[in-house]
Amino acid sequence: MKLLLVEDNERVTRFVLKGLQEAGHTVDHADNGREGMFLAASEPYDVIVMDRMLPGNIDGLAIIEALRKAGNRIPILILSALSDVDERIKGLKSGGDDYLTKPFAFGELLARLDALCRRTQGSNTQTTLDVGDLHIDLLSRKAMRGSRQIVLQPQEFKLLEYLMRHAGQVVTRTMLLENVWDYHFDPQTNVVDVHISKLRQKIESDCEPPLLRTVRNAGYMLTAQE
Amino acid sequence: MAVGYVAFGIAALILFAAPLWYAWQVTIQDGRTELLRVDSQRLTDVFRREGPQGLTSFIDTRVGMQIAGERILLFTDSSFRPLAGNLREWPAGIPPQAGTYTLPVRLANKAAHAMFVHSTLPGGYHLIVGRDQALFAPLTTRFFYGLAAAVAVLCIAGILGGIMIRQAVLARVNGLRQTVQAIMKGDFSHRLPVQRSSRQGVDEGDELNTLSRTINGMLDQIEQLVHGVRDVSNAIAHDLRTPLAELRSRLEELSLTRPDNEETFAEVEAAVADVDRVIRIFNALLRLAEIDSGLRRSGFVQIDASELARQAADFYQPAAELKGVTLGFRAPPAIMLSGDPVLLAQAIGNLIDNALKYTPEGGAIAVAVQPHGEGLIDIDVTDNGPGISDEEKPKVSDRFYRGDASRGTPGVGLGLTLVASVAKVHGGALELTDNHPGLKARMVLKAEREAHRLVTHPAVDPHDRSDSGERRDERAEEVHRSARQSPQSAALLQKRHDFG
Repeated sequence: MKLLLVEDNERVTRFVLKGLQEAGHTVDHADNGREGMFLAASEPYDVIVMDRMLPGNIDGLAIIEALRKAGNRIPILILSALSDVDERIKGLKSGGDDYLTKPFAFGELLARLDALCRRTQGSNTQTTLDVGDLHIDLLSRKAMRGSRQIVLQPQEFKLLEYLMRHAGQVVTRTMLLENVWDYHFDPQTNVVDVHISKLRQKIESDCEPPLLRTVRNAGYMLTAQE
Repeated sequence: MAVGYVAFGIAALILFAAPLWYAWQVTIQDGRTELLRVDSQRLTDVFRREGPQGLTSFIDTRVGMQIAGERILLFTDSSFRPLAGNLREWPAGIPPQAGTYTLPVRLANKAAHAMFVHSTLPGGYHLIVGRDQALFAPLTTRFFYGLAAAVAVLCIAGILGGIMIRQAVLARVNGLRQTVQAIMKGDFSHRLPVQRSSRQGVDEGDELNTLSRTINGMLDQIEQLVHGVRDVSNAIAHDLRTPLAELRSRLEELSLTRPDNEETFAEVEAAVADVDRVIRIFNALLRLAEIDSGLRRSGFVQIDASELARQAADFYQPAAELKGVTLGFRAPPAIMLSGDPVLLAQAIGNLIDNALKYTPEGGAIAVAVQPHGEGLIDIDVTDNGPGISDEEKPKVSDRFYRGDASRGTPGVGLGLTLVASVAKVHGGALELTDNHPGLKARMVLKAEREAHRLVTHPAVDPHDRSDSGERRDERAEEVHRSARQSPQSAALLQKRHDFG
């Protein structure tokens, strides 16, 4: 996908640019708000990564607000050193679609960008989701693997639904915490991993091919095996 | 100041005395005129009864008897020639018509200011009855003396009183100043003096005492914060140094030994893990600071504590099962409270997390929510692990405090601190008691929001994003969806929604 990175810190820029290019994305970079605004308004990007604190005391949020006012609806991920819940809300209020606090792991950024990009493609009107022979019905809240019915707790269903909506993408633990449980803190124990392994046991019985992969240093990915 | 008050007092006295003086003057004047009229009437009666001769001799007798100058009498014929009286001639200023006049005249070789009643008698005769105003002077003088005495007393009392009050206030303000100066030098143990009345333990209610007590309350808070900061600085120095030292030695060793790729890779990964640990500590500290600053009070909404706790228990259920610990939940449905769902979820999570960490296999953890008397709600997390000794209980909610039992377990030692802070923001406290065996951690929370609010919700921006129509629908849907899922996400989204 085609991305725009608006960030003034050289080291962060180098790190993000390199990582995104290695992941096969085209990335444009602006190191100040004016250029960022210009590029965002003139080029059709899939996702914009916007730093909050930009040179000349410009808050990235002001740029986002201006873009949104001008009718620009490109998904925007806000990067910020401000971690307060209130700051996060401010960021989303200004028109940002996701908020990532610095310092961040690259895997987290990549996974969130993927999710943002696909979100605009996927439609919300689907009532069923399929990944390989795994099938869930969002209305009856039923899950099937092939012809086998899978009994899931409501919370497990929600977790599976989220993974299926992001099938083929890496989903990080933080994304799961925020989107499935709506928890905005870091539980010290590996609770998410335990939930995942419990879900895995249910959707992958002994002889079935695995669907839910653990991605090292990043998170999980639900994908149908070739 | 005192001078000003005295001047003000005098002005007030004059304002009070002036109308009095005026009324007094008018009354006296009326009285005098009346007196002269009565006299004049009496002489007219004599004239009517006994004719001009009779009056002449009557007046002569009176003039002979009276003390010179007390009464001015003059009886003339129609051409103003004196017939009797103690005036040698018709006073120039008195017109021929009858009436009452006040004017200067010469009386027995001295100038005087006199009042006259001039009556015309049958046959063209004229009669003047008058009186020297100077005879009234002593009365006026006495009035002014009285006034002056009052002013003098007022001045002295005012100045003395002013000085005394000033001294008293100065003494107390000096006391306050000295205390404040001591505090400014860094000794936060000082408190402003509060005067106590003779009755045991009852504070005097004057303004300075009220102010002192308020400032003392503020000082308590500041002292606590300063100590908190001091403790944190020490703790940070200690707790961050450990991972930083590891990180440093790891990197230095890498740069010195330049091992093969495989080992370098492993070392760098370990270094990243070290950094992550540092970041986690920072995040926890920032979150604590955020809570303690009270700013999060803006996130208060009506939430169901029961549902919030149930979700937290559900969330940790698989982890408990994996460890072989039973995790029970017990609460009546729908216990509403005004609070911050994000913080409360984290606090309950921390308590369960803590309990899980210390409860051995086969143990039991119970999460319970119940209303507690007037307007309070208890959220309990109990376990039957090793518990915390009584000496340690007050310390565990200090930042970075880690009990002996926690050595060797992961964690940054901020979990219970955060729980205590969250409880405090909700007008409550964290209570730790023995569960015989184990620990009972209880968050006591106020069901109602405290009266004061630090931050108010900003009004919805009228200059909303122009393209937001569709987006807004999406969000509205999101809110409803989340409302089914959890009260917390609904609140957060609702808030986003409020914002735009």
